[in-house]
Amino acid sequence: MLEMLPHWLSDWLGPDGMANLAYITNGKHLSWYASVRYTLIAAAFGAILAVFFGLLGAAAKLSKFAPLRWLGDIYTTMVRGIPDVLFLLFFPLAFEQGVEYMMAQWYCKPDELAAATTWPLCANVQWYLSTTEYMILACVSLGLVYGAFAANVIYGALTAVPKGQLEAAHAFGFPSREVFWRFQVRQMWVYALPGLSNVWLLLLKATSLLSLLQITDIVSWADRLGAPNYSPVAGLVHGDWRWKYYLVLFIFYILLTWLSEKFFAYLQARAGRGMARAN
Amino acid sequence: MTIVLDVQNIHKRFGSLEVLHGISLQAEAGDVISLIGSSGSGKSTFLRCINLLEMPDQGEIQLAGETIKLKTNHKGLRTAVDPKQVQHLRSRVGMVFQQFNLWSHLSILENVMEAPVRVQGIDKTEAREIALDYLNKVGIAHKADTYPAFLSGGQQQRVAIARALAMRPDAILFDEPTSALDPELVGEVLSVMRKLAEEGMTMLVVTHEMAFARDVSNKVIFLHQGLIEEQGHPAEVFSQPRSERLKQFLSNTSIK
Repeated sequence: MLEMLPHWLSDWLGPDGMANLAYITNGKHLSWYASVRYTLIAAAFGAILAVFFGLLGAAAKLSKFAPLRWLGDIYTTMVRGIPDVLFLLFFPLAFEQGVEYMMAQWYCKPDELAAATTWPLCANVQWYLSTTEYMILACVSLGLVYGAFAANVIYGALTAVPKGQLEAAHAFGFPSREVFWRFQVRQMWVYALPGLSNVWLLLLKATSLLSLLQITDIVSWADRLGAPNYSPVAGLVHGDWRWKYYLVLFIFYILLTWLSEKFFAYLQARAGRGMARAN
Repeated sequence: MTIVLDVQNIHKRFGSLEVLHGISLQAEAGDVISLIGSSGSGKSTFLRCINLLEMPDQGEIQLAGETIKLKTNHKGLRTAVDPKQVQHLRSRVGMVFQQFNLWSHLSILENVMEAPVRVQGIDKTEAREIALDYLNKVGIAHKADTYPAFLSGGQQQRVAIARALAMRPDAILFDEPTSALDPELVGEVLSVMRKLAEEGMTMLVVTHEMAFARDVSNKVIFLHQGLIEEQGHPAEVFSQPRSERLKQFLSNTSIK
């Protein structure tokens, strides 16, 4: 592959440069770069779900129906209190075993169930999860955890919408549900976005925990590639280079943060259209 | 004359405090009724009971012959039997608020179009024409694409009036429409309201503008502590007040 580079470039890089280039474009490194997709997918879908759960949670907290309010409060207090590492370990496992348990009631023979001492309860309900399934579980976990934060932010923002404007909507004959979605939710963003941008950055950072779910993400690749490398033929290829690899991850996350800030500034300007006071 | 709005025996309690002790009012088409009285007399609460922004604890509301059905639920709270009927009532009775309450995320034009399109289901292009028509009428069509926050209070209130008009309502409720305005902006709003009155719009106006009440309305109702203390044609009410309280109230206001 590298032979295809133009001569002036290979000359300029020199033999050492070319060797380095060959090293950082070898198969393992390419896999490392490709694993960025897990991080980005988890962040994107996690965020979408977080906003979704956040809206649901906030709507529940504002409900006239007391049990729904309690549910909303329990969700935001409990889930916000649990460390995200623990939740990421707990939720996918609990979900997997829960599914296996329910399947067992259906598919296992009664005598197998009675005799079962280990997990799974019988062999034919063992659920092998692939990376795709773990990714889905990771997105849902991130969505649930950061949805609880988002719910609080959105709840605050919903109550910050001027009451008079909602009253006006009622007075013009809008049904309550439309008053909520068309006016309250529509106007809430301008108050919610600063808080949501915080939640987004926290979520983005939490994507570095994907390796907890057996996903070979950028962090586990950095671990592997940076570890001291011996080859039977060449001897020691390099020593402990993990700090270099982690440094690359630092820069990656800082870049993402910088992009996020730009994006949220744009969203804020859009949501705030017309909200600026002329006087 | 046809009776547009018939409100009978409205009672309203906030906790243990009863603020309305049974108020009735009838508005015929083209009536301009001013509700006056000192703060706390219950005039705003009464107005808000008419389109059920406040739910009256007792009483009956009839719009163009249709009675709004209310019931007492298991918790002892008054609610509507059919929320759709209430929405329908509200879509036929416009409201103009003290604080304008324009929707700040919508442009002026969108503010006026929103309810006709979404609530009444009027076609967008038609609603746009109607909206521009009324914005023109209140003299603010040139600002159609700006947002409410960029207008003065008087301009915002005129937009709010256009917003109410665009629903082509049977009557419009005005809740102290000029009380939040700087003195020099009051005139532009009052002149729009005067024009509406001349065109025969049925209006219920809670106001502190005694000159408006005297010159524009054909009926004045003076409320005191949740009851109608005195009512009648403005010429009588203002020149020959019978009750002591109305005399006192009028002597404290600046009408001459």
